[in-house]
Amino acid sequence: MTTLDTRPHLTDEVPGNYLTFRRGILSWIFTLDHKRIGVMYLVAVLSSFFVGGVMALLVRTKLLFPGEVSWMTADQYNKAFTLHGAIMVFLVIIPSIPAALGNFVLPIMLGAKDVAFPRLNLFSFYLWVMGAACAVYSLLAGGFDTGWTFYTPYSSQFGAGGTIPVLVGVFILGFSSIFTGLNFIVTIHKLRPPGMTWFRMPLFLWAVYATAIIQVLATPVLGITVALLVVERAFNIGIFDASMGGDPVLFQHFFWFYSHPAVYIMILPGMGIISEIIAVHSHRHIFGFRFIAFSSIAIAIFSFLVWGHHMFTSGQSPLMNVLFSAITFSVAIPSAVKVFNWLATLYKGSISLNTAMLYGLAFIFLFTIGGLTGIPLAVLSTDIHLHDTYYVVAHFHYVMMGSALIAMVGGLHHWWPKMTGRMFSEFWGRIGCTLVFVGFNVTFFTQFMLGSQGMPRRYYAYQPEFKIYHHISTGGSYIMGLGFVITAIYLIHSLFAGKKAPANPWGGASLEWQCSSPPPHDNFATTPRVGDCYDFSAVHWDEKLQGYVVDTEAHVAAARSDSASGKGH
Amino acid sequence: MTNLISTLLLQSSSGASGDTTLATGQAVTPKTFWLPEGASTFAREIDWVFEFINYINYFFFFLVVGIMLYFVWKYRQKGREVYARGPSHNTMLELGWTILPTIIVVVIFFMGFSGFVDMRTPPANAYQIDVTATRWNWVFKYPNGATSDDLYVPAGKPVKLVMRSEDVLHSLYIRDFRVKQDVVPGRYSTLWFQADQPTAEGEFHWLFCTEFCGTGHSSMNRKVFVMNEMDFDSWVVEQGRWLDKIDPAELYFKAGPKLYARCAGCHTLDGKPSTGPSWGDYDGSGNVWKRSSDPNSTHKVDLKAITNLIGPGKQFENAQSYIRASILNPNEHIVDGFGPAMPTFRGQLNDKAIDAIIGMMQHLDEFDTKSPWAKKPDGAAAPAAK
Repeated sequence: MTTLDTRPHLTDEVPGNYLTFRRGILSWIFTLDHKRIGVMYLVAVLSSFFVGGVMALLVRTKLLFPGEVSWMTADQYNKAFTLHGAIMVFLVIIPSIPAALGNFVLPIMLGAKDVAFPRLNLFSFYLWVMGAACAVYSLLAGGFDTGWTFYTPYSSQFGAGGTIPVLVGVFILGFSSIFTGLNFIVTIHKLRPPGMTWFRMPLFLWAVYATAIIQVLATPVLGITVALLVVERAFNIGIFDASMGGDPVLFQHFFWFYSHPAVYIMILPGMGIISEIIAVHSHRHIFGFRFIAFSSIAIAIFSFLVWGHHMFTSGQSPLMNVLFSAITFSVAIPSAVKVFNWLATLYKGSISLNTAMLYGLAFIFLFTIGGLTGIPLAVLSTDIHLHDTYYVVAHFHYVMMGSALIAMVGGLHHWWPKMTGRMFSEFWGRIGCTLVFVGFNVTFFTQFMLGSQGMPRRYYAYQPEFKIYHHISTGGSYIMGLGFVITAIYLIHSLFAGKKAPANPWGGASLEWQCSSPPPHDNFATTPRVGDCYDFSAVHWDEKLQGYVVDTEAHVAAARSDSASGKGH
Repeated sequence: MTNLISTLLLQSSSGASGDTTLATGQAVTPKTFWLPEGASTFAREIDWVFEFINYINYFFFFLVVGIMLYFVWKYRQKGREVYARGPSHNTMLELGWTILPTIIVVVIFFMGFSGFVDMRTPPANAYQIDVTATRWNWVFKYPNGATSDDLYVPAGKPVKLVMRSEDVLHSLYIRDFRVKQDVVPGRYSTLWFQADQPTAEGEFHWLFCTEFCGTGHSSMNRKVFVMNEMDFDSWVVEQGRWLDKIDPAELYFKAGPKLYARCAGCHTLDGKPSTGPSWGDYDGSGNVWKRSSDPNSTHKVDLKAITNLIGPGKQFENAQSYIRASILNPNEHIVDGFGPAMPTFRGQLNDKAIDAIIGMMQHLDEFDTKSPWAKKPDGAAAPAAK
């Protein structure tokens, strides 16, 4: 017997899942269902991703030509790369996994009916929309060209006319992030079912929890920073103006105090997804549960101590430079530990190369490169040469796009059957993943060489010696773009023509696989019974359902005997 | 504390005492796959650390990816009943792969730290050059008052750049020297280096701005020339006197275009729009000289006709004084349709330089707007190239 709800109203004849529970656009706009909110976030975030991606392709296309071009001025170029960065950071990567996938998956994986504060959850989404609206308005007001980092005094004294509106948008988006984090912390503390101790909780939830801590503690600093910049720009109070006794570099401290933890908001949930994907698609218990769980918390804590490594050439004192460089290495070690644990999970597994798993493996490849190339940037003497060059651009794209975004897309594929009730085409999934992977490496690996050879970033025009690198990089970006377009097409196509998905297509053992695909409105009819979410011994293939089934009695009994004998996590 | 650390570590770095300790090897390392040529005394050590990290990175990358691919192949799924039994923890392994990387990164940290301390400690006898960064220009000022748009440095001596910005953040980066430091308004920042090999005829090292500063961020490239000491000393003296040696009547075409280079970032010559008003005719009131000097000029400044400001008894006696004030105190009166974006050139342009610029404005018709340093065929010979 499973916790699959087999009450009469859930058969095929009569609609009975969260998508069909109520109909009409108002039932979505005013929904309190975390699953619907997650879906709305997903659509919003993915649409923003495409806009940001188009900006990137514009930038890369201009960079085919070393000098001026008639169809794009330097000012337009500066606005394009600024918009690309701002959209991707604030509208896509920071909300994507926590708010889009996390909102959908967290309560079901936890075994709960919803998050702790459903109205706050909906309000977080409204705030995202308001922030995005401010960004759109800022484009109409003249755009902004300060770089997504908004460094003063350029942003306070120059910068295009849309700068204040977009800063207001960032302020609002910050609250969306804070409220989501708060919601998740309370949900994880308070809504776990009986038997789900912290060490029985899936690693994705540990990752989202660690992320939520950063969201709640760090984002207010961003809010204050952009508020100060707005006031400085509007009223010239002088806090960042040297001629009035202010300090332009102070902005950088304020900004990076948030923005460094922010990059861990981006990557930690992605790492959580990879833990799930690797374990489920290897059909094997995750290796080193406690180490992976604690490494998420360690990364969250250390992330607050390293912001100055973005500022080694800013005029910061040499002592500060030394301290920040040393502490930066402390953040690298827990990340490496995770990678080794995932590799050990593959050992003696039974690995199915589904699209989601391909993304998981791609993550390991790309995150290894991204993490290792952080080392020359953390090392003081080499960073002087590499700072503000394309080497940095390549590094952060490997970790933010090649890792966090790839993990998000992998998670999207992993939970797509659960969310939509449809299977997508594995054939096209593999093609899409391959194109994205190859295109990504061609685009960004080339940029490491561009940077170490001395090409600065945010450059409209460049010396002809760099041309060949730019040509290769731009070619890669088109391949990658094609991969994403193909992915979008087959995923959307699956909504209309995909095979109906069983409750458990991949053989997972965590609770989200024990309700139907798509889940019913209230997730579980009765409080689910908790076993070891990485124990696949009670998971079997059911030929009639064309999916896996968890033998709940055996699953729970195995966990109880593990606990009694002192084994388990 | 940093003084103590630097004293302890100075022994280990080359070039710290200012002497050319590169007895065993060339002063310039060639361009490699990853790095450009290295032309300062820092480059050797920094490049070594970079390559060392690279090799460690190659090792771990191939290790991780190799193991991953091997496991994916060896443990691929066979059949549908797929439960796999494998180990789920091993504390010794966890400790091992935590401690070993920690040791490696600690070693690497110290390597970077010692190189860095050297870079932040200019020798006491360093030759000082003052640098001013503006949107979008660099001006290098030598101890004798000479100024230059490109950076000329003596070989074999430590050189210290003392830098400030007139407006926003900039950053001075000489990639072949492996040096970079942000240039901040309101304070002085420094960097130092020593280049031992003079650049050959026609060759130079690039100097880039590496902190985003607006429209002209990627056009602030300048050249660095390294000269042996004798040549450098005579260059500095010549550079300090170059304006004085020019006959006043020839000032406008021998010096004007060279100085115009500092204005070109914002002022076009042919009426095309840019950050600042074009010196050519863009609003029907004539080129910059005509519209400033014509008593019937329709040109507008501060929302009023420019003739309000210029004339006997008014704030500026004549057009020359108005233009001089515009260069030295640019934001006092702003041409309609433009913003307060121009930095002051006080301290950079002396009276003769300003005379040269005004002269060029007066004779603007004689210049080819595309390459102003080549005079039109019916004028005198063009001056030496920039």
